[in-house]
Amino acid sequence: MANKNKTIVIGVGRLGSGIANRAAAKGQDVIVVDPNPKAFYGLDDTFSGFKVNADSTDMFALEEHCDIKTAGQVVIVTGDDNVNLFLAYVCSLVYAVPRVTVRFDDPDKGALVEGLPNVKAIYPFDLTLVKYNELEQDERK
Amino acid sequence: MHIVIANGDSDAAYIIDMFNTKENRLTVINGNEAVAQTLMERKHIAVTIGDPWHNTILEAARVYDADIFISLCKKDTDNFASCLIAKRNFHVKKCICAVSNPSNVELYKKLGLDVVLSSTYLLAKSIKNESNAESLIKSLSLDNEKIVMIEATLLPKYWICDQAIKDMGFPKTASIAYVVRDYNFIIPNGDLILRPRDTIVVACAKENEVEILRFLKRQKTTVEAAPAPAPEEPKEEERPAKKKDSSAKTTKKKTK
Repeated sequence: MANKNKTIVIGVGRLGSGIANRAAAKGQDVIVVDPNPKAFYGLDDTFSGFKVNADSTDMFALEEHCDIKTAGQVVIVTGDDNVNLFLAYVCSLVYAVPRVTVRFDDPDKGALVEGLPNVKAIYPFDLTLVKYNELEQDERK
Repeated sequence: MHIVIANGDSDAAYIIDMFNTKENRLTVINGNEAVAQTLMERKHIAVTIGDPWHNTILEAARVYDADIFISLCKKDTDNFASCLIAKRNFHVKKCICAVSNPSNVELYKKLGLDVVLSSTYLLAKSIKNESNAESLIKSLSLDNEKIVMIEATLLPKYWICDQAIKDMGFPKTASIAYVVRDYNFIIPNGDLILRPRDTIVVACAKENEVEILRFLKRQKTTVEAAPAPAPEEPKEEERPAKKKDSSAKTTKKKTK
């Protein structure tokens, strides 16, 4: 059974640690996963979640250390688009996670997750472009 | 046939040698510039330089509607992404994904890839087949493991020995393709009586493999096996007696 309050954040860079810190502060059960132990330095001192130092493409780590089957939400933000794509497929098709958010640097990858149940993609490139356009319009005004 | 070979090093060179014939059109993509240069020089073939998991590179290499896409990247997830893009965006008919972690074979298939290969996985499978039932039963998977060919050499202790095929209740989910007896091939019909040391080749669906293997390996009961230790041809008079015995047993079970 999925626990709505449980969030797994895979990839603890700037974005991943930011999302994890915010979710933990809201009182969610947070698990962060990263193969690099130094990545956890980006988490707040008050971060109350679990830190799993493991390769996120290792199914054993996801099942045994994170109990991914019970996750209500998985946020996939590693620095490798191909790893993110693979994990989005695994979370959606193998573990049927109710809410999967995946980050892609390459907007072309988005088409590959279209139609996957419960998966939403975010693109820093597109978000930056939107923000840039907004700033430009503000300046014109 | 249009074949795309994405990434790889010596393995890519080997596959190029294997398929570089008049009947095939090869497209080679490689993200490593040094490897790409070596392939161009040694194999006299055009190579598109770039990572095969990018739309732009596959577009430049013109892989649209290729028949086969072979991905030989070092990382399994790169192979997964390359095959997925080739399949979904470029409508490649069959994608072959090489993986280094053998436990990814079943997982990647579950995620929708056509063919997933791992050298360790294949090695483990052939070791398992070779060690199966005193090396007398071997199986070969075909059509992406949907069909299995089972080759079994019959021992006198097997229940199906000395029985006509029509009488042994052979599972309907399988078919005996042929029988090898004394180096002769026999296409069997229902009247053929299987003998010890015959080699039979059975075709069945993958999901029925366990059932068929269990059927083939089923042994005679100790009472039946005792009088026939020698692999000599059983006499005609013995056969009806055995049938009677087996039928007697089934009736006993029913009464219980």
